[in-house]
Parts: sequence; structure tokens; C-alpha cells
Amino acid sequence: MRILIVEDDQDASATMRRGLEEAGHDCVAAPDGAYGLEEAHKGGFDVYVVDRMMPRLDGVGMVETLRREGDQTPVLFLSALGEVEDRVVGLKAGADDYLVKPYALAELLARVEALARRRETGSVQTVLKVGDLEMDLISRSVTRAGQDIDLQPREFQLLEFLMRNAGQSVTRTMLLEKVWEYHFDPQTNVIDVHISRLRSKIDKGFDRAMLQTVRGAGYRLEA
Amino acid sequence: MRWPSALRRTPFRLTLLFLALFTTAASALLLYVYFASRSEAAARAESGIRREMDSLTAIYRERGPEALNAELIDRTSKGGNYLYLLTDAQGQPGTGNVNESPITELRGPETWETFRLSAADADGRVARRAAMGVEVRMAGGESLFVGEDIGDNEAYLNRLSLILWGAAGIVFLLGLGGGLLVSRQVDGALGRLNAVVDAVRGGDLKQRVQVRGAGDELDELGENLNAMLDRLEQSMAAIRHAGDAIAHDLRSPLNRMRGRLEIAMIDAEAGRADGREALSQALDETDELLKTFNTVLSIARLQASSGPPDPSDFDAAELAFDMSEFYQPLAEDTAIEFSAEIQTGLIVHANRAFLAQALANLIDNAVKFTPQGGAVMLRARRRSSGEVEYSVTDTGPGVDEADRERILERFVRLDSSRSESGAGLGLSLVQAVAETHGGRVEVSEGPGVVDGSGPGLRVALVLPPA
Repeated sequence: MRILIVEDDQDASATMRRGLEEAGHDCVAAPDGAYGLEEAHKGGFDVYVVDRMMPRLDGVGMVETLRREGDQTPVLFLSALGEVEDRVVGLKAGADDYLVKPYALAELLARVEALARRRETGSVQTVLKVGDLEMDLISRSVTRAGQDIDLQPREFQLLEFLMRNAGQSVTRTMLLEKVWEYHFDPQTNVIDVHISRLRSKIDKGFDRAMLQTVRGAGYRLEA
Repeated sequence: MRWPSALRRTPFRLTLLFLALFTTAASALLLYVYFASRSEAAARAESGIRREMDSLTAIYRERGPEALNAELIDRTSKGGNYLYLLTDAQGQPGTGNVNESPITELRGPETWETFRLSAADADGRVARRAAMGVEVRMAGGESLFVGEDIGDNEAYLNRLSLILWGAAGIVFLLGLGGGLLVSRQVDGALGRLNAVVDAVRGGDLKQRVQVRGAGDELDELGENLNAMLDRLEQSMAAIRHAGDAIAHDLRSPLNRMRGRLEIAMIDAEAGRADGREALSQALDETDELLKTFNTVLSIARLQASSGPPDPSDFDAAELAFDMSEFYQPLAEDTAIEFSAEIQTGLIVHANRAFLAQALANLIDNAVKFTPQGGAVMLRARRRSSGEVEYSVTDTGPGVDEADRERILERFVRLDSSRSESGAGLGLSLVQAVAETHGGRVEVSEGPGVVDGSGPGLRVALVLPPA
């Protein structure tokens, strides 16, 4: 996919570019919000990665302008400040996700891919299918190879998120933010415990494990 | 002190303002006294003249013009204050003690007039004295004038007003002088306060205002200023302490990482290893350092903010339910019995994200320090005082009473917990979250020693009612 990186820190921009290109994405970099707007106007991007603090036009101003112009391309907001208020400001401006610097490349990649994917599956789905795993969002039931799987409400939400991002890595922080809506670092491996419970429900008794651990990144649901 | 600058000072301006108000009020009072006295004197004179006139017209009516004439002769010869003149029907002046009536034209049966009277005093000086009188036409065509010299009244009024203005002048001068004195004194006291503020601004936090002991608002201001400076000095010391602690806590892992990278470099150059292991370890350590750094920053920001950032009203019970659901599996996995006792309808005005983080830290800690087979309980309830209390109780080894306050401090890790991971910031963050919401953290003993384990620890986060 094509990604526009708008970041004034040249080192950070280059690192990001390296990481995203390594994963097979095309990148265009812009050094501030004004150049970022110019590039965005040329079109053809799947995701914008926008830094908050920049000279000339900052990230908030740039995203607000894009949204006013009707550009609905997903935006991942980056900020060195990581306080609650900053996240709110970013999301209010029209950003779709928010990442606090410093971040791991795996985290950035997972979020960018999740954003692009969400755009592809824009239509409202009532049934999610990954391999032989099926989730009915109306009756809130899950089956694997026709076998009923009984899930707690939160486990259902967790699986739904994993299925919507099937084939992609999702990080622990993403799960914490998107499934539980918490914004902190647990000191313990509490997320892993939830995943292993879910895993025992959907993979136990089947020869192929769908819910995989991605070393250094998080988890991935494979068809 | 220079006087011109004193003239610009607030106390002096207030003095002037009050002086102006007082002078206006005094003038109004004096004018009132003057006019009241004058009309009182005029009324007294008029009633005297009327009595005189009434008795004379009665004599005329009852006994005729001759009797009146005789009476007038009698009265003028006795002397007295009154002026008389009887004019006959032809207009010729007759009996009386004035040569002609000052009232030249008669309007109606009774004509009142005030006029000036030329009179010589004992020393022969001629003065135009104030007088008033009435002229009445009789039944037989004669007219009778009766008047009175009211010059004494006027002189009295003039003296009175002179005295009153003199008094006002004295009051004005005394007020002005007093105002300047007071203004100098207040100015001196404020100057001392200002000197302290200037010194503090220059960086000398040790300066304090000398309180005079007068118990007035200047002393109060001085005491408040001193209290503020005490608090400021404490905060500065705390910041210095935190800075030292951060430096200390970040230095050792940084040194460790540097050493490892150096060895990895040597190994890689010698072809013994490709350094991947060392790099991955360094990455993990950097993440830990950044986490510590972010937590320290969060604590500092919370401590610096005057209230919870971005607060909203929400149900604290709901958050507790969410949290217990979130941590239940973790506790079960480590064979800890996790339970929750949550009252419903605990509305608080708070930042949800920070409160969630604080609760997570409390539960994380409890789970971390409770051995297998132990128990952790989360409670959320409203105290009788209306405060909302979250508490987490565990059956771990607990903390000695002497150390309970200390574990809330930054980077404090008791020796017994050195082997556990973490920088010792979890409870400090809970404390910072509590304080920014106007609440507090209470640390006490858990359920006590049971079957050789315990006594456990109970940490409560108490929030004021919404």
C-alpha cells in the first residue's frame, strides 16, 4: 500500500520509512504539514502517518484541513506527548488512531496496516469469516468448522477485533486500547492470559492453531 | 521615602477620597445648619411682630385710634426692640419711633417685608442692619407699621458659619496629615513585602516576611506569603529529589546496557557472535527505560496540574467491574483467588484513563506480591462520608508499618521486592492520581496472618464525591 509520512524529524522519518518499506509498502515523506497537504492533494494514499508537532502547519491543522476538504483517508497521529488530552485533541481533529512516541516499529506497522484494512472492508458486515472460523455479529454466535464455541462477551469482542484484522499482526497495546479501551501499560502479562484463554476455546481440539504469537510484536489470527 | 511617589500610593489616594467625601458631607451639614438657623430666626421674629401687631390692632378695635396712639407713645417711650409708626388716613406719618415706613406700598390688608435699616451704633458708626416688618391698614383709613431689627440674628448666623467652616478646615488638615502618616506606614509594610518578593524572584527562596504581630491584614498577607514560600521550597526540594532519583534509577540500567553493547561489539568484531542477541536485549531494556521515563513524566504532570485533566462524570463501580473482569483470568492463572465486592452507583468526577491506570497498578501489585493459593479482593464502595473508595486487599507478605508511607514515594522499592520487576513507580502514580483528584491513598494491614502467610496489604484509593 502507499503511505504518506509527514514528520519533521528527518531521522524518525527515515527510520519509519525503512520499517514500512521493509514490510513491502510504498512511502512518500513530507517534512511538514504544508508539504504534507501538497502531497496528499496528489492523491493515491492508503494511510497518512502524521506527526503532531511540526513547523509551518502542525499535524492537527493538516488533518483538520484534509477532513474539511472531504479527504477520508485514515490518519495515524504521532505525538511525543502521550497525555490523555493530546490523544483527545488528535482524535477530535479527525485522526483515526494515535501512537505515542517512542514506539516500536512493529507497533507502527501493525497500526498502519489495521487502518488501511479497515478502509478496505468499509461495508457493514454481519458475518465475519476467517478460514473455518465464523462469527455472526447479529446472533453473537461463533462456530469453528460448524462446532459452536461459547465465548464470554469480552472474549467475543477480542475475537471480533482479531478477525477484522485477520492475517495482520496486532500488538498488545492495540488490543488493550481497542478491545478494553484502556490506555496504560499493565505491569503483568494480563493480555497474554486473555489471549491464551481465547486460544484454548477456538484452537483446542483442532489440528491447526489459528491464533498465533508473533515474536516481538503481538498476535495474529491466521486462516 | 520620596513624597511624590507617596502621592501615587493607594493608601494616600484612599485618604484623599475619604477626605473629599467627608468634606462634601460636612459642607452639606453646614449649609443645612445655616439655612435652618436662618429660617428659625426669621420665624421667631415674625411671630414676635405678629403678637405686637395683634395686641395693637385689638386696642384700636376696642378703644379707638386715640387709645392706640396713647399705647404707641407708651411703648416707644419704654424702649424695646420693636419699631412702630402710625400713619394717618392722609398718609402723614404720626406717632412712632421711625420717621417713615420702610413699606412704601400696601398690598392687601397685611404687607410683610424685609429691608435694611440705617442705624448708628454706640460709637456713631452707621450700619445697614437687617430688619423685617408688617404694615396693616386700620378700619379708619390709618395704617400701622410694626417691625423688628433682626441684625443681631444675621450677625450670629455669620459668626456661626465662620466657626463651622473653620472646623471643616481643621478636619481637612488633620485628615490630610493623618492620611499621609497612615499611607507612609502602610507603604513601609508593603515595601517590606515587596522586598521579600523581589529577593525570591532573584532566586533566594530562604527570604521570609517579618510578621509584626499586629494581627491585621498586612500580617495575614505576610503569613500567607511565608506559607506559600514554605510550600514552594518544599516543592523545589521534592523536584530536586525526584531529579536525583531519576538520574540514579536511569543511570544504572543505561550503564548496564552500554557495557553489554560494548561486549557485543567486541564479540562481533572478533566474529564470535553476530550481536543480534545483544541488540534484542538492548531494545527490551530501552523499552523498560522509556516506560519508566513516561511514568515519571505522568507523575510530574499530575503533580503539577491543579485538577484532574479532562475529567468527566462516570460510574466508578462500572470501572471496577471492568477491571475485575480484566484481571480475573490473570489471578486464576497464578492460582490466586480473585474476588470483587462492588457497590453500584458510585458517580465520580474524574479522569477515567488515569483512574483505570491507578486501579490496574493496585491490582498488578497485589497479584505480583501474593503467593499461589492466596487471595486478592477488589472493593468499591461509598463511605459514610460520601467519599468513593477503591481498595485492593491481598494476602501477600504485606509491608511493615514503618515502611507503609514510604512505599508511596517515587523509586522506593523495599528490599523484599528487589527481585521483582518494576521501577517502584506504580504506587507513586496511584498517589499522584489520587491527589490530583483531591483524594488520597491509605495503606494498611491486610487480613492478618492465616496459615503462615500474610498479614497482607490493603491499599485504598479514596476520592471525594462528585
